Amino acid sequence: MSAHDDAGLRDLLERVRELPRAIEPERDLWPGIRARIGKRETGAGRRWPWIVPLTAAALLLLALGYRAWSETGTWGVERIAGRPDVGGAHLGGTGRFHVGDWLTTDDSSRARIAVGDIGEVDVQPGSRLRLVAAKSSEHRLALDHGSIAASVDAPPRLFFVDTHAGTAIDLGCAYTLTMDSAGNGLLRVTAGYVEFHWQGRRAIVPLGASVRTRPGRGPGIPVASDAPPALAAALDSFAFAGGGAGAARRALAAARPEDAVSIWHLLGRVAPGERGAVYDRLAHLFPPPRGVTRAGAVQLDSIQLQAYWNVIRRAAWRREILKAIGKRVP
Amino acid sequence: MPAAPPTADSDLLLVRRARGGDESAFADLYQRHVGRVYAVCLRLVRERGRAEELTQDAFVRCWERLDRYRGESAFGTWLYRLAVNVVFEAGRKDRRRETRVAIEAEPERREVPLDAAPAGGGLRLDLEQAIATLPEGARQVFVLFDIEGYAHDEIAAMMGIAVGTSKAQLFRARRLLRERLDS
Repeated sequence: MSAHDDAGLRDLLERVRELPRAIEPERDLWPGIRARIGKRETGAGRRWPWIVPLTAAALLLLALGYRAWSETGTWGVERIAGRPDVGGAHLGGTGRFHVGDWLTTDDSSRARIAVGDIGEVDVQPGSRLRLVAAKSSEHRLALDHGSIAASVDAPPRLFFVDTHAGTAIDLGCAYTLTMDSAGNGLLRVTAGYVEFHWQGRRAIVPLGASVRTRPGRGPGIPVASDAPPALAAALDSFAFAGGGAGAARRALAAARPEDAVSIWHLLGRVAPGERGAVYDRLAHLFPPPRGVTRAGAVQLDSIQLQAYWNVIRRAAWRREILKAIGKRVP
Repeated sequence: MPAAPPTADSDLLLVRRARGGDESAFADLYQRHVGRVYAVCLRLVRERGRAEELTQDAFVRCWERLDRYRGESAFGTWLYRLAVNVVFEAGRKDRRRETRVAIEAEPERREVPLDAAPAGGGLRLDLEQAIATLPEGARQVFVLFDIEGYAHDEIAAMMGIAVGTSKAQLFRARRLLRERLDS
């Protein structure tokens, strides 16, 4: 091997050493894993190994049959309480929810919708929603008002809920979404992540956080469930009441390290001249990963912001899981 | 604050709890190690969706086989090895299926889209893209030897090839990478 070859190999291996050993998947894979391990014991407790392939085959046949059926543009729906109305008729037990139908619940009614074969939606009392699309590539509801609790286990961007203030896009998750009659909404995520999108403005809401939405303005800035009231108020003022730079400064002052999700979103919302201050506060609260620079963040470099987001969301996820563990362990 | 790096001790405690059926403990193990598992799956198979599936498969198998982890190596080492095995087993199944339905295309001649590479920036992106364009066998040996740090005998066992073939594939991968990065 020549000296030139040696140098080339050294250079290559040096560059290989700089490659990241870890790459974060773009979607949360945990809900799918949890769904699968929830049905299985750890190896120590497993018996009857033949039952697994047999059951899997039976489930596969059922799933294939159901998928063929569900492609017809209807979902199953069942009454949970009271007398829900589906397509203009009272739902006694179970029925079909057709594309174009409205489902309405009064103050004492509740219903559960099967979202194709990827999840389910519980419709709370006082709600009205319509089935917009029921295809394997697009599962879409429109929530006029009321409250729903959605739980979906599927690849991202298959389940959508349109509202008067934008669209909730499932990224593999569970969440509640409440809309009042004026079109103001609140989305609260209980597993995974949800994106809320309105005319180019988007918010990514992780487990344990929520976001308010307003018609004509779209999503505000996500806040953790235990965020300081001063932070939540400042972010609401910034997003919906024209609070501007003053509200942003109040938000920065009130934020804790646990509020990095909020400040990361704020970075992309403030005026260009204010981004430096937002970045400095964010970096102080939650140090950026290697490769993220102040200049890049202020210019909203998408790769750098994504890298920053990946570590922020991981920490937020971990915090929520530890909180859940803490609740279980006395 | 960013999550603390995983340690062998804390992993072991979580493994013990997970063995008892504690899903929260297993969720924590997932969160600690998913980046490494996904990275090796993505670099071995190139396709993001497939890598996500294999990552999930690896963690499900990990859950099923937790009782086999004896603590003789770091949990991460055991898990990443398990993930690599999941990738190669899936590849063998895919190939068997393909041969039943069609004449298999020569894998090493397949064109690879550049956007199949993992996201990154600057030079790193160039290198990731170049790795993604390597022929399958050469790429897999390169990923396992130069990035993941496995020895040739380990790679040969995992891939079902001779040690000499592993060495030859590594030589080929490095040569192709230098050519592509220099051009």
